[in-house]
Amino acid sequence: MRYQIVITVLIILLPVYVLADIVVVVNPNSGIAELTRHQIIDIYMGRNPGIKKGQVLQPFDHPLNSVVRAEFYYKTTGKPASVINAYWARLLFTGRASPPRLVEDNKAMLKTVRENPAAIGYLEQKYLNEHVTVVYTLENNE
Amino acid sequence: MKGLAFFHFILLLALLSAHQANAFDLGTERIRLSGFGTLGVTSAGEKKFGLQKDYIHDAQFGDVSVLTDSVFGLQLDIDLLKNITATVQVVAEDRARQDFNNIVDWAYLSYRPTSNTVIRAGRMGIDLFMLSEYRNVGYAYLWTHPVVEFYKPISLSHYEGFDFKYSRRIKPGYFEFKVYGGQTGSDIKLANGDLNLRMRPFVGFNTSLEDNNWKVRLTYATTDTAFIRSPADPLLNELSHVPQSSWPQASALYNRLIGVNKQTHYYSAGFLYDKHNWVVQSEFSLMTSKWLSVNMTNGYLSVGRRIGPVTFYTVGSYAKSRDNPRVDRTQIFTQGLEGLVSAAEDLLHAVHMDQNTVSLGFRWDLHPRAALKAQWDHTWVRKHGGGLMLLKEPLDHNITLNTFSLNLNFVF
Repeated sequence: MRYQIVITVLIILLPVYVLADIVVVVNPNSGIAELTRHQIIDIYMGRNPGIKKGQVLQPFDHPLNSVVRAEFYYKTTGKPASVINAYWARLLFTGRASPPRLVEDNKAMLKTVRENPAAIGYLEQKYLNEHVTVVYTLENNE
Repeated sequence: MKGLAFFHFILLLALLSAHQANAFDLGTERIRLSGFGTLGVTSAGEKKFGLQKDYIHDAQFGDVSVLTDSVFGLQLDIDLLKNITATVQVVAEDRARQDFNNIVDWAYLSYRPTSNTVIRAGRMGIDLFMLSEYRNVGYAYLWTHPVVEFYKPISLSHYEGFDFKYSRRIKPGYFEFKVYGGQTGSDIKLANGDLNLRMRPFVGFNTSLEDNNWKVRLTYATTDTAFIRSPADPLLNELSHVPQSSWPQASALYNRLIGVNKQTHYYSAGFLYDKHNWVVQSEFSLMTSKWLSVNMTNGYLSVGRRIGPVTFYTVGSYAKSRDNPRVDRTQIFTQGLEGLVSAAEDLLHAVHMDQNTVSLGFRWDLHPRAALKAQWDHTWVRKHGGGLMLLKEPLDHNITLNTFSLNLNFVF
């Protein structure tokens, strides 16, 4: 009985993050209809994704301590945000690339991608509207 | 006192950096200022046998130091044109020689003619190892300090010249090839003085293939020792003038100990695996040269396991000279020559490397831009195998040493 009470209390106290699916979006004027998971990883890990000759996408990221950022990187790369942060420090301080510029939240991401033809970003699906193009969906059960 | 002042300086910069956290956010601005630092406390060595993490730092003889691992760096990137960027990195740390030339670690221009190619020219980081371009950035790697057996033998941090890099995704992974050339050098600390080394030409290439969970890398480089000034010069000079009739071996020993005009070849292979919270990294290298001090092999294997924000790890490493010339004691030396023979024998022992280390530690990612690390190293050094140490007396028996280090690493 005592154990049942302890387990019940623990279940109640456990933080439950139920995120919607995350969608990767670009500006409709980019001419890009879809991307592979490999290409998205390359873009967000400072590598050349080889999309179209001469086309460069500028990635935007969520704040370093945000839940949606942690989810995005875990679902795409399988790694926690701390590993991604250390990886970007390596790229930055070897002069290879600068980390993606940060935006405040989902709404700011939507606005940034909508206003910048070269931008690529990601956000929770519930914030999606018709002004951006979805190029990849990271489903919640991935 | 000087050490504490430097430590307080870095502590102050760390606190100021915490208020400048948004500097990291300037990802696409034309002018970007970024920084990194480490506040470290290290206990290492013994009274007569000093441990160094690399040759540019003072050795520790059993004391506690805040200078060994502490470092602060700033990097400025300026996009001059669409495809041309200027980068300058300055690094403040304890050094054998503190001057402007050594503090400026990098200063180069990079030109990106296509999305697959980058050409750089100026002063750049030496790219021989997996960590070589960011060994000062503790936040970027797992351990409290680069593996001594592997990273100390080449304490070169930068070179002046050019590099050309080509990269693209191919079927198995992301491919990179880099070729470079220029000149390099270092001012390093030895037991009885400073050593100044200039090497040119310095040329080489490295190639790597990586995917999300793994990376393999191969390196080759070669260089000539163009200039060397060391505390052993008077002894070597004396050795070169010994008549063949009085000590036939002297000339052969001189040729092994003298560094100038000797070519060194460097080969290394490394791999990294990072999946399911396991992190495995290993590198092995071979250096071949007629200069005894750098004719060696070394390597390490590091295995880590992430549990939440903490990664626990262990590292095993070794460094060993590839040969061990001895003074032929079957010859009877005159009393006048005996002093020189003994000194040459001590020098042969002093440059010989034969040691290995096992390390245990953890890294705690306590903040998106800061990590706390602790590490214990247990090092075995074989008799006359202390070439990676600073010795106050000849190492005529096997010893074991313990190093404890606690670091706070941060970036901004």
